[in-house]
Amino acid sequence: MPNHKRTGIRNLLITAVFAIIVIVLGAILDPYNQGQLAVVSMLFIGVLSVTLLTGTSGQISLGQGALMAVGGYASALTILNLGWSMWCALAMAIIVSAMAGLLLGFAAARLTGPYLAGTTLVLALALPSLAIRFESVLGGDVGLSVDFGNPPSWLISAVGEIGYEQWQLYATLPLTCLALLATANILSSRTGRIWRAVRDHESAASLMGINVSNNKIITFVVSSGFAGLSGALYGLRGIVGPSVYPISLSLLLLTGAILGGLRSIAGALIGSALVVFLPDFIEWATKPLALSEQIGNYLPGLIGAVLLLLTVVLNPAGIASALHRHK
Amino acid sequence: MDTALTTLFLGTTRGAVFALAAMGLVLVWRGAGIVNFAQMGQAMFTTYIASSLIISGHGYWLAFLIALIAGALLGALVDLAIMRPLTRRSHTGILASDSMRATVPVIASLGILGILQSLAGMFWAAEERGFPTPVSDVAVKAFGKTAPFTNFDLFIIIVVALTLVATTLFFTKTGMGLAMRATALNPEVARLSGIRIGRVRTLSWAISGVASSLAGLLITPSANLSPNTLDLILIVGFTAAVVGGLNSLPGSVVGGFILGLLIAIINVYDAPDDVFLALLVFLLVVLILKPSGLFGSKKVRNA
Amino acid sequence: MLEIRNLIASYGRVLAIRDISFTAAAGKITTVIGANGAGKSTLLRVISGLEPATSGSITWQGHSLLNKTPEAIVRLGVAHVPEGHAVIASLTVAENIEMGALFRRRTHKQDVRVAISEMYALFPRLEERRNQLAGTLSGGERQMLAISRALVSRPSLLLLDEPSLGLAPLVVEQIIATIKQLCISTGLSVLLVEQNANTALGVADHGVLLSLGSVVADQPAQLMRADSALRSAYLGY
Repeated sequence: MPNHKRTGIRNLLITAVFAIIVIVLGAILDPYNQGQLAVVSMLFIGVLSVTLLTGTSGQISLGQGALMAVGGYASALTILNLGWSMWCALAMAIIVSAMAGLLLGFAAARLTGPYLAGTTLVLALALPSLAIRFESVLGGDVGLSVDFGNPPSWLISAVGEIGYEQWQLYATLPLTCLALLATANILSSRTGRIWRAVRDHESAASLMGINVSNNKIITFVVSSGFAGLSGALYGLRGIVGPSVYPISLSLLLLTGAILGGLRSIAGALIGSALVVFLPDFIEWATKPLALSEQIGNYLPGLIGAVLLLLTVVLNPAGIASALHRHK
Repeated sequence: MDTALTTLFLGTTRGAVFALAAMGLVLVWRGAGIVNFAQMGQAMFTTYIASSLIISGHGYWLAFLIALIAGALLGALVDLAIMRPLTRRSHTGILASDSMRATVPVIASLGILGILQSLAGMFWAAEERGFPTPVSDVAVKAFGKTAPFTNFDLFIIIVVALTLVATTLFFTKTGMGLAMRATALNPEVARLSGIRIGRVRTLSWAISGVASSLAGLLITPSANLSPNTLDLILIVGFTAAVVGGLNSLPGSVVGGFILGLLIAIINVYDAPDDVFLALLVFLLVVLILKPSGLFGSKKVRNA
Repeated sequence: MLEIRNLIASYGRVLAIRDISFTAAAGKITTVIGANGAGKSTLLRVISGLEPATSGSITWQGHSLLNKTPEAIVRLGVAHVPEGHAVIASLTVAENIEMGALFRRRTHKQDVRVAISEMYALFPRLEERRNQLAGTLSGGERQMLAISRALVSRPSLLLLDEPSLGLAPLVVEQIIATIKQLCISTGLSVLLVEQNANTALGVADHGVLLSLGSVVADQPAQLMRADSALRSAYLGY
């Protein structure tokens, strides 16, 4: 069997295994953790956008959270103003955020390192103010209300009663699997190789005939589509508004990607699980210490930042690479 | 006419502070090749230290001085503890990639920012704090008319002007200033001349720390002190530095004043909500038309 | 004197110096010649501390230089003028020279002033242009400036890397003559790396011929110059 067919089948298998694990977990966890797992699945897609953009293509963006917001608003407006179904809205979210990525790509393809980081940071801060500017359409500070709706009747007849958090998880799952499969295929394809060439040695890549700026733009488009999908799902938990997509969301995605491992899908998954469950874990672990509310509020942030710093200084390739080495 | 004058003065005093912030960024960029996103986090932290000293009864000027010293120490600490080990790592694995090596210090500085903000929150966020001004905060009255600025505004402009003069003299007339310029322009030739570039770089970080501490002390009275107060200054400082040219100290100062005026105009004649949008547009325009900034040169930094 | 024993060093992933040993006598000009890629520049960069050595020993007047930092090696009296007129273009002529003397300012304040004026006496064209930016100088003037930057620190060993590169023959002659004069009057030792073997052997006391990282010949310059077989095999003339 030709090599690419083998990898294609392998990627399908990995996705299937992932789906099965999530379904099983979804069935046995309590509602709170079902909700958390749903958030992991949503953020996983967002972290994958960082894996593609920064890990594979080497471009740093501090504005993925803003692209999540674009997707969130696109899907919310589609549901509320156009009356379309959730699934159509999600498709719209991907398209609109991909287009935003195209614009961003045009500006960003010429920028490197700190210039790119700073510009995307300003973008991440500027975008929420658009929501306030166009309050009538975008709902201002309060935002727009949307949700996942009710689980379809055929599903209930198949598996019985489904809790709200469980439905969130099962509705998100097929899209997460799609994102997972797409990423796996991109990484193992010729496109992935081109992006890695651009990341590692831009001048050499362009000498080899690769159109560096076109590829950078494509990377932005693809990663923005991922981020938009993630943001749309994230917003379907209840609200699409500036408070849902703060600048710290961009940093959260970046932290997850770096901690877990910037260059692999496994890293993205580890990172997503980490950023979602770490605050819960810290709260549980520090309960006997009876910390003051002040310290308790800031402790997860402190630990996250310390982990980020330690990772970047000691093991920049993240947890996934350390596991890989011990195989 | 009155509004125009007020806007002009508001823009100038804010611009002076932005110029300081931009200078701090440029100092570290030139001296160490890193854009320090944690800079205003450092400033916020040292301002909190000053505020705590004032609250426990010490005088403003003592707190001011200690904040500046703390800024220098904090800057030097960041370099010695984090940035130096970071840049010394061998170029293997993920660091074999050019773009990764440029990205890693950015992420490290974000981590430092997060740590400083969390620590500040833990130590001090319980109560909202203001920050006093050393001189009167009311409009200056002269010749029977009320001027569109206060004594404190004058104070800011004088302090920043003095800082600029001191910095220029330092870089052009002293041996250490020459060593810093040489290290920034060509580290290899500097080393061959016997300059200890490691120490020189740490000094750049320390001086940058003082500049950003000063910026924090000057701007905070006009807002409440919280772990996130100075985030905006970071963005404006960065934009000012880029607009003026990341390689140029005088450029960053000019950039600071330009942005000060721009933001004042937007605040007065438009809506404060539009500030970030205006910054974004301005930044993109400059990056598209003249990527090296108004005063920047296209020269590539020697590694 | 400079003693190199069993030196091995890489340049990137290439083994550039494969077990080199030779001695450069004090107060003399020793020239290291050979074709491109022979390892000559790498040798100087390893001696001055810019590149690490894998193994071997480098000793100057009894002090080991092996894998010390460039800053420390300069303070031991070894000054390196890298190839390509290494001056800092956005600094003035005066600042470039002053830069070379910075590390001595605290300990030898008076002598630094004397040393700087000696450089201007040595290269009067530099004095005329002392407040000009180094980037506006001609190639020959920049080379003079680079050499002044090294000499102002009063080194006992000068490492010169291809001073003739890109310069007119007349200018090269002038510079080399100045160096030779310095050797005679001050006892300065010079390790001269040169592409132009003819010129180098004409002024040097001793020659070391490198080929692909190894020493092929190590003899008095006059003998090397006369050996036509050696010349045609390794130097192409």
